[in-house]
Amino acid sequence: MSLAIAGMGLVTPLGSGVDSVWRRLLRGEEASATTISEQFADRPYAVFRVSESPLTGLAHRRLRRASLISRFAAAAGLEALRSAGIKVDAQNAERIALIFAVSNGGVIYTSRFYRDIVETGAQSASPLLFPETVFNAPASHLAAILGVNGTTYTVVGDGAVGLLAVKMAEDVMANKALDYCLVVGTEETDWLLCDAYRRWRLLRLAPPIEPFSKRNRGMILGEGAGAILLGRTGPIAIERAHPGGCYEKRAEADEILKRMLKDLNQTETDFVISSANGTFIDHAEERALEQVVPDTIIYTAKPALGESIGASGLWQVIVGAHALHCRELPPVLHADQNISLRLSCSRTPLSDAHSAIILSSGINQQVAGLRLALR
Amino acid sequence: MAQLGSSTRENIPQRVAVVAAGVVSPLGFGLTETAHSLRKAKDCVTEVTRFSVAECRCKTAGQVSDDRLLAGLDKGHHAKRLHRASHMMIHALREAMAQASKFEPELSVIGTTSGGMSYGEHYYRSLCQSGDLRHAPTWISNYPAQKPAIDAQDEVLGVSVPCQIIANACASGTNAIGHAFECVRSGRYQRVLTGGYDALSELVFTGFDSLQASTPEKCRPFDRRRAGMVLGEGAAIMALENLDIARKRGAPVLAEIIGYGISTDNFHITQPNPSGVGPQQAMERALHSANISPEDVDYINAHGTATTFNDAVEGKAISALFDGVPVSSTKSMMGHSLGAAGAVEAVVCLLALQEQFLPPNINFGALDNDLELNIVANESQSATVHTALSNSFGFGGTNASVLMRRIGA
Repeated sequence: MSLAIAGMGLVTPLGSGVDSVWRRLLRGEEASATTISEQFADRPYAVFRVSESPLTGLAHRRLRRASLISRFAAAAGLEALRSAGIKVDAQNAERIALIFAVSNGGVIYTSRFYRDIVETGAQSASPLLFPETVFNAPASHLAAILGVNGTTYTVVGDGAVGLLAVKMAEDVMANKALDYCLVVGTEETDWLLCDAYRRWRLLRLAPPIEPFSKRNRGMILGEGAGAILLGRTGPIAIERAHPGGCYEKRAEADEILKRMLKDLNQTETDFVISSANGTFIDHAEERALEQVVPDTIIYTAKPALGESIGASGLWQVIVGAHALHCRELPPVLHADQNISLRLSCSRTPLSDAHSAIILSSGINQQVAGLRLALR
Repeated sequence: MAQLGSSTRENIPQRVAVVAAGVVSPLGFGLTETAHSLRKAKDCVTEVTRFSVAECRCKTAGQVSDDRLLAGLDKGHHAKRLHRASHMMIHALREAMAQASKFEPELSVIGTTSGGMSYGEHYYRSLCQSGDLRHAPTWISNYPAQKPAIDAQDEVLGVSVPCQIIANACASGTNAIGHAFECVRSGRYQRVLTGGYDALSELVFTGFDSLQASTPEKCRPFDRRRAGMVLGEGAAIMALENLDIARKRGAPVLAEIIGYGISTDNFHITQPNPSGVGPQQAMERALHSANISPEDVDYINAHGTATTFNDAVEGKAISALFDGVPVSSTKSMMGHSLGAAGAVEAVVCLLALQEQFLPPNINFGALDNDLELNIVANESQSATVHTALSNSFGFGGTNASVLMRRIGA
């Protein structure tokens, strides 16, 4: 079964709206880093944040107390529906499924909620914050805004979770009673996350993200949301969503990636949207790409947008779909020029491109992929 | 990765067998202990020992013994670093796989709400209080929600199985089973591993306490004196397989999953719509999916948290659809294990179908005046149970119901 992308929405640190972000990526722009600090620690971290402006029009009462992660998701989801010309009403509310991808969830409110407990005791715990700490709070808010009353799932995982959510959407849409599935990936940044990833030796203190670098200097976190509306028809098909796999040790990741790439590359592939982010996963992807698709053009948007974990897979799909539509790839920023992969080092025309592979390697054991094709 | 691509199979709804199951909960380790506790109406809720509850209204929870969790596990360095949620999953999956040789899943769909949350708490507390952070990398790498499921697969199956983790609050376990059921029923997969897990954590315990959803008293679902929930923990696994294929290979078939319903009621992030429309839609959709009528259902394992709102709404929805079907909430015995609850309670239904009894709703005095339900009060009952319904409802207005049938019924 092949699904098609009927609409897309983007909220990123490089701006919001698919066309606007795309133009900036083509120009080789990257998001500006801001520094965040924490009262009980002296180490600040650089992150790519979303400006408040794309969120100002979101006036729904369910978003009044909602965390940023929910507001990012609502903005991206509404843009995807708008771009497809779909309005949810009582007639079709049951025929639209909603699948969310998140990794760390509402970490800002979660850490604030727990800080009250640690600093002043359980009696200070806020009943207003607690509901926003649950993983499915963003999905619940968007379902309420739209009036969707049927299937709503929140899928949790690492950087591969966005593509795992698309795979789940493909399975859910096997039910012919559904017309559409809105898949949203969303994430917010926080000092605590930066500190955790640094202690895990995956984060660098300041930009840039250097993809495929031999030195694995680490990633910079980004935030925002990406949304795709999947339907039965449309110009760009999800030809195949691969269920992916899980690696036990980091050294095993490239073997799973190779198997998956071979499955997805049964016919010629014009380009690959990689998830390279400056960490160990770059080398796993590099080895798999070198072996399976050595002559295919590779692009990663993470140096420009940051690593947004839960949102990043959806960003990759949107970038891949838009590249097929516009027949052009943006330049990869800050890449090591000495690697053997064929990177899109400058704006790369794709005059006769008709297919792309999206590859997501998470930093916590999950990998996933899918194949896009022009119909 | 033998995913079926055949359009022929995809177009014909396939029957879905439960070929193996495993469970760890306050009721016991494994199916036998669990069935025994259910039959004996054992109250497994105890004083919380894992963290301080001095400032909370509620002081009790259903807890899984750490000594028993660690017994029988690999004592190596690796196993010791894993979160106790991983240990619960390993026990449950090991029990299931002992019954299901040659079961090679193409996918796993697992529910949870908080993964390795207590490791996140250790990390945050150490940061705030300038504590010892030497173990921070272990806490951080074992904190993510997907980790216990992946750990269990590595440990027990030893192979890479694609893993989807559903976090739909308290409905997660039932959603996971329901989605796994639909994956097999659609013909897209032959074998899917499913279930749910959650371990008790201070953050979540305090959260429910702050909402005054948990009670300092006994958990009394559907009782007129009910005062709230108590939390619990656990893990449960079910191995689902295309029924025809399972029979062909001679696999034991424990039960059949026949229907699944999901709804989202959009009323409030923590409260259900008082009309009962959300739970009612989930149950109606499950009945429709199974193509059976309410009269065909012999037992309902209710969500039954014992909060004022949940039980009123669920009770209203049940009595709108069913006439006198026996109902119990087994959370009265073991507490509410959140992401694990739907999976553990599906195993309870499986045991009811296999052993032909109705699990009890303990601590029950008198039915709420506004409800019309046939509660299985305080003691288990022998009964003919062909079809059982299990309900789970969660924050965010997410509602899910699964229907299971005794094999051969």
